[in-house]
Amino acid sequence: MKDIREDIAWAKINQDVMKSLENPRKLYWVILFFALMAFGFGLGCEVYQYQTGMGVANLNNPQVWGLYIATFIFWIGMSHSGTLLSAILHLMHADWRKPIYRFAEAMTTFSLMTAGLFVMVHIGRLWQFYYALPYPNDRGIWPNFQSPLLWDAMAIFTYLSSSVLFLFVGMIPDLAIARDNMQAGWRQKLYTLLALGWEGTDRQWRNFRVTYLTIACFLIPLAVSVHSIVASDFAMSQQPGWHVTSFPPYFVAGALYSGCAAIITLFIILRYVFKFEEYMTLPILKKIVRLTFAIAMVWTYLNAVEFASVWYSHDQVSKDVLIQKMTGNYSPFWWGMIFCGSVVPLVFAIKRFQTNIPVLFATSLLLNLGMWLERWMIVAPTFSHGYYPWTWDHDQWPSIVQWGMVFGSFGWFTLLFLLFCKVFPSVSMYEVKEMVYHRTLHLKKSETAEQGAH
Amino acid sequence: MSVSNLLENWSQVRHEHPVNDKPHDPYKWAMAIDLDACTGCNACSVACYAENNLPVVGKEKFQHGQQMHWMRVERYWDEDGREFPDQGFQFLPMMCQQCEAAPCETVCPVAATNHTADGLNSQIYNRCIGSRYCSANCPFKVRYFNWYDYPTTENVWPAEMTQQLNPDVSVRGKGVMEKCTFCVQRLSAAKVTAKGEGRIVREGEVQTACQQACPTSAISFGNIVNPESRVHKQWAAQQVELDKDKQAKNEKEEGPGLRGYRILEELRAYPSVMYLERVRESAV
Amino acid sequence: MIDSDSVKQLAGHPFDRRDFLKVLGWSGTAVALSGCGNTSIEDGRETVVSYVEASDYMVPGIGVYYNSTCAQCDAGCNINGRVREGRVLKLEGNPDSGINKGKLCGLGQAGVQHHYNPDRVREPLLRNGSKGEAITWDKAYALIAEKLAGVQGDEIAFLSGGMSGHLKVLLGNYLDSLGTRNHFVYEAIAPSVVRAANVKAYGVEMPRYRLDKAKVVLSFGADFLGAWVSPVHFSQQYAQFRKGVDGQRGVLIQVESKMTLTGANADRWLVVKPGTEGVLALGIINVLGTATGDVAELVKGYDPVRVSRETGVSVSHIEKVAALLRMRSPSLVLAGSAAEGYAHGSQNAAAINLLNQVLGNVGKTIEAPVSVPFPQMAPAKGNTAALKSLNDGLAAGKYKVVFNFAANPVFTAPGAMKFKDNFAKAGFKVAFAHYLDETALQADLVLPLDSALEDWGTQVPEYMTEGAQINIQQPLMERLHANTRGMGDIVLALLKQRKADEYKGFEDYYAYLRGAMLQNKGALGGGGVDDDTFWNETLTRGIVKLAGATGALTTHATAAGLVFPAHKEADEHYPLHLIPGVTASLRDGRHTNQPWLQESPDPLTTIVWDSWVEIHPKKATELGIVEGDIVEVTSRTGSVKAQVYLFPGIHPEAVSIPVGRGHDAMGRYAKGYGVNPFQIMDTVFEAATGELAMHETRVKISKTGQRVLVVKDEGAAGALQMGRKIASRVSTDQIDLSKEV
Repeated sequence: MKDIREDIAWAKINQDVMKSLENPRKLYWVILFFALMAFGFGLGCEVYQYQTGMGVANLNNPQVWGLYIATFIFWIGMSHSGTLLSAILHLMHADWRKPIYRFAEAMTTFSLMTAGLFVMVHIGRLWQFYYALPYPNDRGIWPNFQSPLLWDAMAIFTYLSSSVLFLFVGMIPDLAIARDNMQAGWRQKLYTLLALGWEGTDRQWRNFRVTYLTIACFLIPLAVSVHSIVASDFAMSQQPGWHVTSFPPYFVAGALYSGCAAIITLFIILRYVFKFEEYMTLPILKKIVRLTFAIAMVWTYLNAVEFASVWYSHDQVSKDVLIQKMTGNYSPFWWGMIFCGSVVPLVFAIKRFQTNIPVLFATSLLLNLGMWLERWMIVAPTFSHGYYPWTWDHDQWPSIVQWGMVFGSFGWFTLLFLLFCKVFPSVSMYEVKEMVYHRTLHLKKSETAEQGAH
Repeated sequence: MSVSNLLENWSQVRHEHPVNDKPHDPYKWAMAIDLDACTGCNACSVACYAENNLPVVGKEKFQHGQQMHWMRVERYWDEDGREFPDQGFQFLPMMCQQCEAAPCETVCPVAATNHTADGLNSQIYNRCIGSRYCSANCPFKVRYFNWYDYPTTENVWPAEMTQQLNPDVSVRGKGVMEKCTFCVQRLSAAKVTAKGEGRIVREGEVQTACQQACPTSAISFGNIVNPESRVHKQWAAQQVELDKDKQAKNEKEEGPGLRGYRILEELRAYPSVMYLERVRESAV
Repeated sequence: MIDSDSVKQLAGHPFDRRDFLKVLGWSGTAVALSGCGNTSIEDGRETVVSYVEASDYMVPGIGVYYNSTCAQCDAGCNINGRVREGRVLKLEGNPDSGINKGKLCGLGQAGVQHHYNPDRVREPLLRNGSKGEAITWDKAYALIAEKLAGVQGDEIAFLSGGMSGHLKVLLGNYLDSLGTRNHFVYEAIAPSVVRAANVKAYGVEMPRYRLDKAKVVLSFGADFLGAWVSPVHFSQQYAQFRKGVDGQRGVLIQVESKMTLTGANADRWLVVKPGTEGVLALGIINVLGTATGDVAELVKGYDPVRVSRETGVSVSHIEKVAALLRMRSPSLVLAGSAAEGYAHGSQNAAAINLLNQVLGNVGKTIEAPVSVPFPQMAPAKGNTAALKSLNDGLAAGKYKVVFNFAANPVFTAPGAMKFKDNFAKAGFKVAFAHYLDETALQADLVLPLDSALEDWGTQVPEYMTEGAQINIQQPLMERLHANTRGMGDIVLALLKQRKADEYKGFEDYYAYLRGAMLQNKGALGGGGVDDDTFWNETLTRGIVKLAGATGALTTHATAAGLVFPAHKEADEHYPLHLIPGVTASLRDGRHTNQPWLQESPDPLTTIVWDSWVEIHPKKATELGIVEGDIVEVTSRTGSVKAQVYLFPGIHPEAVSIPVGRGHDAMGRYAKGYGVNPFQIMDTVFEAATGELAMHETRVKISKTGQRVLVVKDEGAAGALQMGRKIASRVSTDQIDLSKEV
């Protein structure tokens, strides 16, 4: 199996990565077109909903949140992969993360931006959203700091800004390379601006390392907190099926899980589209797959913990919700989630599939479907079968407007990602070089050792 | 706009529930509904539509569960699989329970729903951004959201019918949450009148629309702080205490022998509405 | 809200009412419009009245309260309307009323929507082909005069709903002037068979029932909490009855084949085979064993085993009911519409009344009613027998001019009568109408009426309580539409066509009413008071309370004439009984266009905006039907298609469809919602009275294969509480009610 070659020339690395910024292939335009279509459709749905009222989403009392909040959690979850790969693995000196962390980090940022959209489209009076911001005003009116929703907004905003910063800081040396390799034009101006006068001096490298490490350290607790807080939206409420102590770790595990799955998907796509086979090698993929498998099992375990704690809690109401999920209207989706989330990842346990691209691609899509279903199954059944049986609803199927916005969000995400890939180097050049250097060192060391033995 | 200012404001808005630190004085509005007297006739619900400018959403929106009845009359029958409901049905008028520790209040991101000094769970339409978190956290599901802009929706209020709208009550536009207010417009008017005369509102001086309409007088409403009020007497006679989540009377082995109870009391929301159990004759 | 003293002061302020309304009316409209728009004032179409110079009674932001009478049904509840800035906003009960004592049902509350209804007729309309052409009132009156010219008295027919008071008197005068005796009074839903049976049993049509004094109420299908006679009044008595005396709570037992609202509130709901209510009553008399003479002779055959077999009520229940009645006295037994709706309805009602007499309730819980000192103002009542004779006349082409007022027979006549076709045979049809309802659409001339909140009138309720009373109906605000007229004004104008001299002194109906009332001032309790004071006080109160004479009731129990028909075999082709459901809010469908009533869930099924077919779950399983299936309900007369609702409170051999919906005209909120079961009703008449036996239609049902989502308030959990303590219930032996507040 081919891994990154240790004899690969540094100039070639630059060349290969910079090539991805050049005029795109036809496939790029096709994907861009579809992404635009999907986004446009979602946008149309939102305009219609904004004009007419939230009712067109077929939300009702008690089903007040529907797919919006479910998909919001899904995108927040997606965002965790980038942080995991770029920050956590960075601290753990896992070299194999280097070729892929950049796009994972971009994914983090864009998923957060997508998630933010759902917060917006779900509120009834979008034009008054700024009431939720703690802006100073002479009437002394503040948002409600007791509300998990407010914590949520703050956590997401902090996370988003930190992620953008992290992405940007990590990109500085590469931006300088891009600056130096570009012909004059808007791109060069942009890179010159963003490279912040990077010259690659020792002092700059030293400062860069410290800054990068600091943000990485800062980002890790944020990543954990952001999804814990999203979990608090539910766990802090009183509703059956939500009021569960294990929700924060469960949510974080779910987030990492869906993030990893998304990385596999994107890894495969980028590898193909940008012809990055030399950098995004199969051994790296294999490592991600193994990591995903481990997280899948953690998630499964936490699921089991949740069910068991509900089942043995003597809280009849919560139990009813669980039974309803398993046997009621939602059962196909709930079992779909169990299948996709706990059964499908078993494929990863089989060695032969760990590098089988088509299988991995299909599996990763299924995992993400499962994780989306999970979020829906957290949100919807509690509404439909809450404390008050009189209001148990019988018509909660989301309307085309809701579905439209869910699809539109994928379009929006893809759009952002495609633009990013063409504007910024999506593989970290300096870190790949580092990796090659480490490998060469390693190789030399083993050669010396070998010679010494002789 | 200092932090201390903020915290000070904060402590005024959020005091401990049920209010140990600030006893309700001179008002705490509360209700008692006698289910043995309630016949399920729906007069209360229609009266509420008339008083509070509730939109009639029409068949299609009702089908989607988007109806706006602040006061809904629920109907239950026995669950024991008998062939006929031969002891009749049970009716239950259900509206916002004006909880003392309302689950809806803490979760609103913009503090649009608050506790008032006289023990109401208020809803500030102008402040509401429509996150619907309050409804999500309401155990009784008695909060109703304006899924559409009813004032401009065809046939909700045609020109002639706008003249019936109560000028004391806002007409709500799309995207805000609303719910039973205990007819706060009537309470405010009564309080202003009383204040002008240097007294507090007398028992019987103010009625909610549902109470006023109820043909069997099943609903009593008043200031529970006032020992002369019927509501106070009823709560006392039934040994239901506002600030308890478990009533002492229920701990007795032989059963309470009293029929006052609050719905989902164990959730510690401390509802301000006490129900009196429906009674059925054991001799037939 | 302002305190009651100042309300009284404002309401009783002695100013001239006409002037008041003039000022209030147009200024009020100006305020109303300026409040939510700005066009009319900017356009100069409205005049702004300065609040600075407003009259004493115009206090911006403060409601003024006027007493009047509810016209939503015939119970005659006294209402108190809140008026602000010249607009009536809300109706409450008048606390001084003996009937409703400050309370008002949902139907009454919706009265404002009758008034503000966007689908009211606003101009006199003359038929021009299939369209109505707006004409002036002068032209309309002239046209009526023209059509009446040379027409014989017996070629004229006047159909109306129940009416009373001065309008009835004035209309009588008009019909006399036309030389006709053809005044047909038709109420689609009326306890007419029970009235006839009561006359036989007690000597009066409608005695005063005292639920509040009874310890046990045994009701045979009388929905006194829902739609029977005077539901708000009975509801108040019911509350008293439930509280009981000395903590002994009254016990309600309801016997019927389809649960009504009253049945849903019963301690024991006994389902009987449709039509066997009378048999059960006789069975109870038998078990009681206290009857003597011919009654004892009659009930001898009705031993519990036989009665149980015929009625489907278990022997133990019959015995328990009898034991309870024996133990707790006085009791009250009521015969309602479910008992009277059969061909042998009179027999059922008589048997039930007999039970009252055997129990000795007459004189205790059944009291003699008071009578109004002015018998000419007493309510005119009628039911389908009247309609039938009109229909026969129409079918024979007897009538050249037909008037219709406050009835909608095209909608409510049983389908087998083919009323619509026969109505078309009349020469010239005049409808006095509020909406363009089914009947008005068939008319040649439609005259738009004022709403009850804009019109003057008096009303004498059929069912009165302490003392007699005359209800005053007065305008709560100025006319909403310029070209509507009060019925009294119309009749007076028509009367002036015939007898100009006699009536020229009365400028309008208001003048007539005032004159007529003042003429009898002494008898109306105004002796020694000057005219203006008396009149203003009368209007302020909204009720004229009179002593009224009370007669005596017949207490003698007799079984004479009580013969039950032989037990009928089930109909092979049409195996099910059709029970038309009468709901508290829609009644016979005259108010279906009021959206609050459409959206107010039916208390029993919680269905809104649509009709349904109630089927017992057992029967539904047998037929393979589930909730929401569209079924075709077919009788000998016709068929309708409606959604199924599985309802345990119905006899498995019966289905029920509520009446009141299924309009194909009337207005935006009524048209096209639901089906009209009147359409498929057979014309089976009650043997003794000739009234329509509403429960005698037999039907069969078949699936159509379609299924809909039933639009109802009830959630997916149905009527279940899923183990939560939500609507809790306790039995009397676990509770001590004597210490309650």
